Amino acid sequence: MAEQGGGGCCPPMDLFRSESMQLVQIIIPNESAHRTIDYLGEIGLIQFKDLNAEKSPFQRTYANQIKRCGEMARKLRLFKEQMSKAGLLSSSVSATQVDLSFDDLEVKLGDLESELIEMNANGDKLQRSYNELVEYKLVLQKAGEFFHIAQSSAEALHREHASNQTGEQSLETPLLSEQEAVTDPSKQVKLGFITGLVPREKSMAFERILFRATRGNVFLRQAVVEEPVTDPVSGEKVEKNVFAVFFSGERAKSKILKICDAFGANRYSVPEDLGKQAQMITEVSGRISELKTTIDVGLVHRGNLLQTIGNQYDRWNILVRKEKSIYHTLNMLSIDVTRKCLVAEGWSPVFATKQIQDALQRATHDSNSEVGAIFRVLRTREMPPTYFRTNKFTSSFQEIVDAYGVAKYQEANPGVYTIVTFPFLFAVMFGDWGHGICLLLATMYFILREKKLSSQKLGDIMEMTFGGRYVIFMMSLFSIYTGLIYNEFFSVPFELFGRSAYGCRDPSCRDSTTAGLIKVRDTYPFGVDPAWHGTRSELPYLNSLKMKMSILLGVAQMNLGIILSFFNALFFRNGVNIWCQFVPQMIFLNALFGYLSILIIVKWCTGSKADLYHVMIYMFLSPTDELGENQLFAGQKTTQLVLLLSALVAVPWMLLPKPFLLKAQHTRHQGQSYTALQEAEESLLVESSDDSGHHEEFEFSEIFVHQLIHTIEFVLGAVSNTASYLRLWALSLAHSELSSVFYEKVLLLAWGFNNVIILIIGIIVFIFATVGVLLVMETLSAFLHALRLHWVEFQNKFYEGDGYKFSPFSFTLIDGEDE
Amino acid sequence: MGFLVTTLIFVVVGVIASLCARICCNRGPSTNLLHMTLIITATVCCWMMWAIVYLAQLKPLIVPVLSEGE
Repeated sequence: MAEQGGGGCCPPMDLFRSESMQLVQIIIPNESAHRTIDYLGEIGLIQFKDLNAEKSPFQRTYANQIKRCGEMARKLRLFKEQMSKAGLLSSSVSATQVDLSFDDLEVKLGDLESELIEMNANGDKLQRSYNELVEYKLVLQKAGEFFHIAQSSAEALHREHASNQTGEQSLETPLLSEQEAVTDPSKQVKLGFITGLVPREKSMAFERILFRATRGNVFLRQAVVEEPVTDPVSGEKVEKNVFAVFFSGERAKSKILKICDAFGANRYSVPEDLGKQAQMITEVSGRISELKTTIDVGLVHRGNLLQTIGNQYDRWNILVRKEKSIYHTLNMLSIDVTRKCLVAEGWSPVFATKQIQDALQRATHDSNSEVGAIFRVLRTREMPPTYFRTNKFTSSFQEIVDAYGVAKYQEANPGVYTIVTFPFLFAVMFGDWGHGICLLLATMYFILREKKLSSQKLGDIMEMTFGGRYVIFMMSLFSIYTGLIYNEFFSVPFELFGRSAYGCRDPSCRDSTTAGLIKVRDTYPFGVDPAWHGTRSELPYLNSLKMKMSILLGVAQMNLGIILSFFNALFFRNGVNIWCQFVPQMIFLNALFGYLSILIIVKWCTGSKADLYHVMIYMFLSPTDELGENQLFAGQKTTQLVLLLSALVAVPWMLLPKPFLLKAQHTRHQGQSYTALQEAEESLLVESSDDSGHHEEFEFSEIFVHQLIHTIEFVLGAVSNTASYLRLWALSLAHSELSSVFYEKVLLLAWGFNNVIILIIGIIVFIFATVGVLLVMETLSAFLHALRLHWVEFQNKFYEGDGYKFSPFSFTLIDGEDE
Repeated sequence: MGFLVTTLIFVVVGVIASLCARICCNRGPSTNLLHMTLIITATVCCWMMWAIVYLAQLKPLIVPVLSEGE
């Protein structure tokens, strides 16, 4: 294919044909391989072929290095995680430092990682004991309060008792009470108690379980801790209660301990003696403050370490990714063990030859290699990848085309015309210069802040809008133009280009609502006459206009598509396609729909009242009948007969000759290849594996069926595609109707109330309806319909789109990728 | 006649735009050809749209009939 192409039919145009490509072979000495690939990656204009496709990733030469890269990337991810936890941002402040080598970086990353992990472990340990101490202190305070309250109430009781006893020594005083009071202390000694903290949401259940397990033989006190406490085990903030359980007996104790464990209640022992408690509290507070300073110092230290990592992070990250991609590429090269060199094969654009050779020389020089790399171009019959050199303006339009299918190598690229026709067809459906200006302002924001926005991460929808900013820009410009043609500014017409052509029939203007106005001046020079707006005949008039406009635009665009197929045939020197496909297709389409277009224009220019539907239908049904009042020009009947006949001839012309001509061509080729067999031996050495698809089987029936399908598709498509262009009319009608509804039923209605509040509400509703429905939804639907018209109606006339994209090995692509 | 004059204006605008593109961003013959193609396509599209609307209003078969309220 590569040598077949390159037909010079017309001067080369950017973007119209994909770059001419070549299959190159580079033989690189082992010692300079890494550096060579590095330099080639910087150029980014070679797509390496995988010469080791049969080997698994683990069998390849540099699998080990790739594993190391993966390990380093993991360490970097750990740093990133730690940095984002600590709230640090990676900054490339000190980018001026000397470049690290791969091995140095690996050692350094290992050291840093172990240091960081140790620091984290220590920090965790300290933090845990700190949290424990804080909890302990809380328990001490709260439990101390229990004891204090208990003691003071006991004393009060005691005093009361005593006063009772001394006060009224009556007979009713129980004799036993004194005995009890004596035995009391001995009983109290046997009571044990456990104190600790339990999560608040579990505290009720905790109490209930304790009560049941010990059959009520416990006494539980709880106190709410106001501030949430950091749990030492999980490290999370939890709301907790301090509890104190009093019980008797060893069995009860073991039960309670188990329950505490089950509820995740942390136990802390509190001395019974109040004095000791106070002493403990001071002791614990001291230790807390001590630990706090230690932790703070540790944190500062860790922060410093992370900051130093952060300063270098981006650089290291890029370096690691680069290394990984280099080794990945090296793995695709085949190794010549005996000669100690690597053989690379890949596609590169022809224009990059000089750059690549320069890079190879530099690499040889920089790595002090004695042998230079060998660069040579291979001949092949393989289909090269498709590569368009786009810029930021054209790339988004090219993406619209690529989304349908990547162009075959060097076939005519619809992207060139899409740049204009796509926004234009959009605007035909979106014609309103008010809305166009809104769209323009929105997209200008993206374009003016392009540099800033492209560097930061945007949301999904924002990203898409930003990517298509130039498409939207063009769409808005054309919308303003078509809006001026339709004479609609938020559905309101203006007399911008002179006075309306219509006026009253007589000064009294009596029959303006019955018979209508009359044309008194020259035609309104630019766009739709403002007089139409709001009249009863506006809709029938605009419908007829827009319907005919859709047909005219559609026929024009389809003709452009067929003409592009002619340029394709010319470029690939394919005479059969010109004479047996392009010519009959042109004849068929224009005999029917080209003729219809001409009739439309003639009808407009002459002001004839002929019925075009009737003309077109009876052109098929009874072409020999007289046209009568539907005659638009002299000799119309003869013309129609000729056109109909030529359209009928064009169908078998499309279908039959091409398969037979291809067959004849094939047999002629076979005859030639017998003599060329001797030369083939030499080329076999070079293209050992590329021979696939050289002499493909020629199946006549297959070709014929293919051509049959193609013909049927075209003939039916000519009708259905023309009808499909009527969507231009439908959508533009919907748009103008919607916008006039919003204007009249919301804005004017609110205005009519003469009330400021209603007016403000009306304006707000109008703005939201305009933005939400007209600017967002209508834009989307008009975009999709324009897309369809391009993909189906325009591109199926010439575009094959079965190529594959050129995806070079390039560092700039790697940098943009996500991890 | 208005049709020819306005058509001439479109042609002039197209030529001026092509010249501007040629002078302002002259980046080799193939790029210039692309710019030229784009400008011609855009001019033709705009001209077609205008011409269709203009011709449709040249000899109106139906005329504006005002609504009752006005």
